[in-house]
Amino acid sequence: MSALVVDSLSVVFGAFRALDGLSLAVDAGEVRAVIGPNGAGKTTLLDAITGITRPRSGRIVLGDGLDLTQHGEAAIARAGVRRKFQKPSVFPALTVRENLSLGCGPGCPPGAQADRIAAALAETGLEARAGALAGALAHGEKQWLEIGMVLASEPRVILLDEPVAGLSDAETARTAELIATLRRPDRAILVIEHDMAFVEAVADRVTVLHEGRTLFEGGMAAARADARVIEVFLGR
Amino acid sequence: MSGAVDLSPRVPAVRRIGPALGSDPLLASLVVLVLAAALGLVLLQPAPYLVNMVGQLAAFAILAVSLDLVWGYLGILSLGHGLFFAIGGYVCAMHLLAHAYAVTGTAPDLMQFMGWKSLPAYWTGLTSAPYALVLALGLAAAVAFVFGLASFRSRVNGVYFSIISQALVYVAMLLMFRNDTGLGGNNGMTGFSVLFGWPMGSPGVVTGLAVAALLTLAGVLVGAKVLVASPIGRRMLACRDDEARLRTLGYSTTRLKLGIWCLSAVIAALAGLLYVPQVGIINPRVLSPDLSIEIAVWVAIGGMGRLGGAVIGAVAVNALKFWLSAAMPEAWPFILSGLVLAVVLGLPNGLLDLAALRLRPASLKPTSLKPTWLRRGGGLR
Amino acid sequence: MVEGVRRLGLVALLAWGASLMMPPALAADAPLERGPFAAALCGDGAAQTKAVEAFLHRAAEAEAAEIAWAGAALRALLDRRLACLGETALLLDRTGAAEGVEAATGTARPAAGGRSPVLGLRQRALVETASGAAALLTGPSVEARRAGLSILERRIGAVPEAFLLRAASAETDPGLRASLAAVAQSAALSSPDPARRLAAIRAVSEAPSGAAFSRLSALKTDAAYGSDPAFRSALDAALARVERAVSIGNGLAVLYNGLSFASILFMAAAGLAIIFGLMGVINLAQGEFIMIGAYATYGVQEVLRRLAPAWLDAYLLAAIPVAFLASAGVGIAIEALILRHLYRRPLMSLLATWAVSLFLINGVRVAVGSQNLQFAMPSYVSGGVPLYADFVVTWNRLFAIAFAVATLALTLVILKRTPLGLDIRAVTQNRDMAACLGIRTRRVDRLAFGFGSGLAGLAGVALCPIYSVNPGMGANFIVDSFMVVVLGGVGTVAGTLVAALGIGSANVLIEPLYGAVAAKVIVLAGIILFLQRRPEGLFAVRRRR
Repeated sequence: MSALVVDSLSVVFGAFRALDGLSLAVDAGEVRAVIGPNGAGKTTLLDAITGITRPRSGRIVLGDGLDLTQHGEAAIARAGVRRKFQKPSVFPALTVRENLSLGCGPGCPPGAQADRIAAALAETGLEARAGALAGALAHGEKQWLEIGMVLASEPRVILLDEPVAGLSDAETARTAELIATLRRPDRAILVIEHDMAFVEAVADRVTVLHEGRTLFEGGMAAARADARVIEVFLGR
Repeated sequence: MSGAVDLSPRVPAVRRIGPALGSDPLLASLVVLVLAAALGLVLLQPAPYLVNMVGQLAAFAILAVSLDLVWGYLGILSLGHGLFFAIGGYVCAMHLLAHAYAVTGTAPDLMQFMGWKSLPAYWTGLTSAPYALVLALGLAAAVAFVFGLASFRSRVNGVYFSIISQALVYVAMLLMFRNDTGLGGNNGMTGFSVLFGWPMGSPGVVTGLAVAALLTLAGVLVGAKVLVASPIGRRMLACRDDEARLRTLGYSTTRLKLGIWCLSAVIAALAGLLYVPQVGIINPRVLSPDLSIEIAVWVAIGGMGRLGGAVIGAVAVNALKFWLSAAMPEAWPFILSGLVLAVVLGLPNGLLDLAALRLRPASLKPTSLKPTWLRRGGGLR
Repeated sequence: MVEGVRRLGLVALLAWGASLMMPPALAADAPLERGPFAAALCGDGAAQTKAVEAFLHRAAEAEAAEIAWAGAALRALLDRRLACLGETALLLDRTGAAEGVEAATGTARPAAGGRSPVLGLRQRALVETASGAAALLTGPSVEARRAGLSILERRIGAVPEAFLLRAASAETDPGLRASLAAVAQSAALSSPDPARRLAAIRAVSEAPSGAAFSRLSALKTDAAYGSDPAFRSALDAALARVERAVSIGNGLAVLYNGLSFASILFMAAAGLAIIFGLMGVINLAQGEFIMIGAYATYGVQEVLRRLAPAWLDAYLLAAIPVAFLASAGVGIAIEALILRHLYRRPLMSLLATWAVSLFLINGVRVAVGSQNLQFAMPSYVSGGVPLYADFVVTWNRLFAIAFAVATLALTLVILKRTPLGLDIRAVTQNRDMAACLGIRTRRVDRLAFGFGSGLAGLAGVALCPIYSVNPGMGANFIVDSFMVVVLGGVGTVAGTLVAALGIGSANVLIEPLYGAVAAKVIVLAGIILFLQRRPEGLFAVRRRR
């Protein structure tokens, strides 16, 4: 069953078509990677799903039939769609714990909040830093805190925008493990990444974007073998 | 800062006062000081002009706190807070005139000025102090709501919001300068003779007003502190630092900003309400854009994002102004501008930097000043 | 052009009036004979009346020299400087002089035994009118001719239309010509002859103006309005026509004023928009840069007044570079001393610029004083050309408009055609990238700030002939120019231009309907509503964040 369906989505900036009739379906329980050269429209896709950018045409539908293009960012987040941004986006003036409590979202039942924060702290390994200001964390820790904020809300759809950009190899491996623990049968995960080894490690399937359209969809091994993919992306 | 405070929103507000004040010794001592000053005024009975000055300073401090709430904690710099202050002030003045007319039967100057035989319909009920209070606060909230909704809904942010709010207060000033508004025009309203049946200007009334202003200040400080230490306060800081991010966490930042904005307007109106009977006059000059910017200056000088800083700034600047604008009126604008430049360039956290009372103010870390608002808008074409 | 139309109307009116006056066959066609005329002046009242009336009817065609001669004789009669020796009249220098010149021939003769005739009341008025007519036509100066006209006005009924026609076509001074037209019109309008009145009404409505409207509406109280349907319908039609033309003219005037206000706004806002787009600094001192520009203009005027009074009229032009450099210099100093440290803190830089503005206002107040400055008005910014109905293209406002157009051109050239402009655009669009490319962004900031401040200084020059200049003048423009920036969108010259035009004309359009304050309220509400639909302003491109 599809948890997230993107249906002939077009996003236009001035005369530039960032997404051009893109269609995509992510199943529940799946980890999908979206790859493509710079300017292929990867981040624009996430912006459209999270409501930051309004599409010119097309629909984005959740498993329960909710059309996200009709809602604002906050309503989309409350519907269970969460995103980790490319640049670590945590609140530097708040502590790790406070960041996580905000991550739970406004709909979080008060009784459940403490448990969720504790769980997120444990999964991200930030227990020792719970009282520290987020602004004082190292780059990798910020990335994990952001993933923890996503986790704390128990989302149905997780969008990860380059989660390992700028991380060391050890941190990358640790992030791959973290993503593996995020996987749940009722949850769809969409990852955007440039690091092919990382994609191969975490994703079930990959979608290759090129100039705002789907170029290829299938397993990573097949993608590496596909002539068009090699031409536009891998074979650079 | 609020690590010791219970994060759960279910805790009743009264039980949050202790922890909230405990986390901010500066503010706690200020509250104590304010209460002590109120007691001192009652017991020591200083000269009326001194009592009056303390009362006015308290009103200004309330005004500064109202602005700090939206600027320091929510990142919204209003350059139009004088509008809400004036709403409180004008309604209060209307009440005082209506009340005095009812008690003494002497028609106020305003009626002669306008050629009225009796007070027009919109003055109905203003003889009642509770109604006037509700009207002042309700009107401020309503104006703030309409303006805030229009601005926040369309995501007018940062300096854009600042200059539009400045235009708002400027337009209001032009409006009130007109004589046909029925609110005194250029001359404003003055000649208040009676307050709750007591003759205005008698030592008891002067002390009563000052004490009321001080108690209100203490109450506003405690209430605002509880608010900013609560989960809502964390959302405010998050919204200030990265509003778009907070929205993608599911929070309606429009509603959050609108709520705090209206609350701030109500507090500013309260300040105006307390200020006018103490100075005995209100006129459109309180609506001048310069006065509204001055409020921001008090907060910046004291230290924004700290409620105590707002109080210190308002009191320090205005005490200096009381003294210097009498002693050397020519020099005051130069001193004020020098003070602003010194603080802005040298003391990013205001006088609190000088006092070295740094309990990690939540504000003004360099990262938090990333001009996110700069992202909007196109290139130069 | 319209002036021409006006004159045509007048000429038509007068020509028609003249043709009407012809039939009563006065034997005035013969040229004026000096001898008999002089003799008649020495004759009894009836002879005087006949001669002077004949002269008046002749005056429309007679040669100027002849009229001047008659005028001198009449003047002498009035002043009792005419001595009559039998049939001969002598002109004396002063009453009772011993010698004079023969009026008809100009030969000198002793005046002993001569009698100076005393004019009767009726004759005196007539002779005054005739001498006024002569003065109007042959007076050596505008003042003399104007005095002649004012004498004529008292007894306008006695003056033939043809004469007024001639005077009007001979007149060189536009002001006096307009007065002549007015006099002729009111003469015709109050004429006892209904046909002549109708024609006059029509003629007046051909040259519509507010004055024409009030002159015509005054006729509504005339008895004929109630009794004569033809008169009534003609008057109503003419009133409707004049009213329409006047409102069109007023509309044009409003648009013109709006355009000139918009020009000043544009000049004030263009600098703001560039600075804001580039550095994110809201410059609350921009109004004071305008003020500095205006004070620099005043300084140039005073220097020229002392050193080269002959060149005083050129001070507005000479002030252009001075004002630009003065404002730009102050701007660059402020940037270097203060704002440079505050680029990452937009709200603090806003407060800093407010402090600067406070300092500048009070500095000028202490140094120069807070009174309005007095400017000489060179000929190229005073007066104007009437264009249609009451709409006059005044030179001072045209100066501001032309100035704004030049500023726009300058701004576009600098932004699009110079290396600095390329740097400014690059830094505005992507500061970090520009820095990576080796652009010295700090230097660009400084120069752009100077340029933006300089533009405000130019606005100061342009508004000297229109608005009053005092230390607090900046406050009158600052709120409106910010609205222009908000409405136009950051850093777009086109947006700034369109927004300035929009706000300028909206202000001026609404003002006459609901008042200046309501105009500001409506414009502000309009901007807030507009931002609901396009929060990024008119011309901001939609792009990826």
